[in-house]
Amino acid sequence: MVNAIRPSRADYYQVLADKLPKDALVVTALGNASYLWAAMHHRPENFYFEDAMGLALPLVLGLAIAQPARPVVVVEGDGAVLMHMGALVTVGAVAPGNLTVLLIQNGVHAASGGQALTNASLDLAALARAAGIDRAQNVTTPEAFAAAMGAPAEAAGARCLVLSTKPDPDVVRPPIAFDPVLTKHRFMSAIGAPRYVPTMFGGGRLQHD
Amino acid sequence: MVAPGQQSATPHRPSEILDTLKRLGFGVAIAVPDSWLGEILVRIEQEPAIKLVRATHEEEALAIACGTRLGGLRTAMFVQNAGLLSMGAGMVSLAQRYQFPLLMLVSYRGTIEDPVFYHAPKGRVTEPVLKGIGLAYALADRNRPIGPQVERAATYAEEASCPFALLLSQEDVQW
Repeated sequence: MVNAIRPSRADYYQVLADKLPKDALVVTALGNASYLWAAMHHRPENFYFEDAMGLALPLVLGLAIAQPARPVVVVEGDGAVLMHMGALVTVGAVAPGNLTVLLIQNGVHAASGGQALTNASLDLAALARAAGIDRAQNVTTPEAFAAAMGAPAEAAGARCLVLSTKPDPDVVRPPIAFDPVLTKHRFMSAIGAPRYVPTMFGGGRLQHD
Repeated sequence: MVAPGQQSATPHRPSEILDTLKRLGFGVAIAVPDSWLGEILVRIEQEPAIKLVRATHEEEALAIACGTRLGGLRTAMFVQNAGLLSMGAGMVSLAQRYQFPLLMLVSYRGTIEDPVFYHAPKGRVTEPVLKGIGLAYALADRNRPIGPQVERAATYAEEASCPFALLLSQEDVQW
């Protein structure tokens, strides 16, 4: 839930950078969710959205399914999750134990200039629990976020941390090019994903090098 | 089901689709059902080598599919053509922009052979919309075996690094 005095996105990101497991994969939504994370903690295991609002959460669900042995983290916005709320239900149903969903709740559409949300004060943790994500909680301080991130991993379903955050409408300039295909290839190479090996007349397969 | 190396006089086309996905190493299928797709999804759910994910909306399904492919799984989608109409933004700004190879197996409702005529408005606009959003597609030919057509669609997606939609008739996909 939104507090009167809220930490910044950077406050939470510093905790995330400090607490992130070495083998974790991170997917960040459009706008400053990606730009600031790239500025603070760029690594090949980051997958940056440049657009496609609302689709970071379902994409990361697929990634968590495909990479069950690695911790997977998504930073999604409150406006984005309202846009595709059904994805919360699918995450709850699939229940990947390696997935951590971080919802930045700043009460505005920050990436497009700070326009008001349809409902800025929803209890998103309660919403996530109702969608089947039992381990969901509202977080209002970086210290509470650090404690939650430091808690031992559990196998039972995804967890969702709703981070009460002040809006950051000023666009951060990312330090790297956000070429989408480069982002994808860099990420897939870093995780050792199999590549498609063609054959002249069809029948190609995905193979590990 | 047809044993390897044998040819049935009246092959069961949905079985051929499933067998082709297994043979090509598809590890996951993301789906939003319609009446034609219901049973094949149940059959996929029973396959140990293919994980079925039931999404709430086709654009969400598309994003999940991008994520499974990003994570290294060969990925198929099962949706109705209504879903192609409603996933346009994600198709161009995520799946095509990042060049995700995805096999999309689509129940093509609203053609002249569909007995449920309220699907007609979707059938009428499906192909113009696919052309408009630049989604590569083909109509399955019911006079040829369906398995090789699925394989060619899957190969196209990988070779061209893009989603490819194979539009299926009722006989192709309804178990």
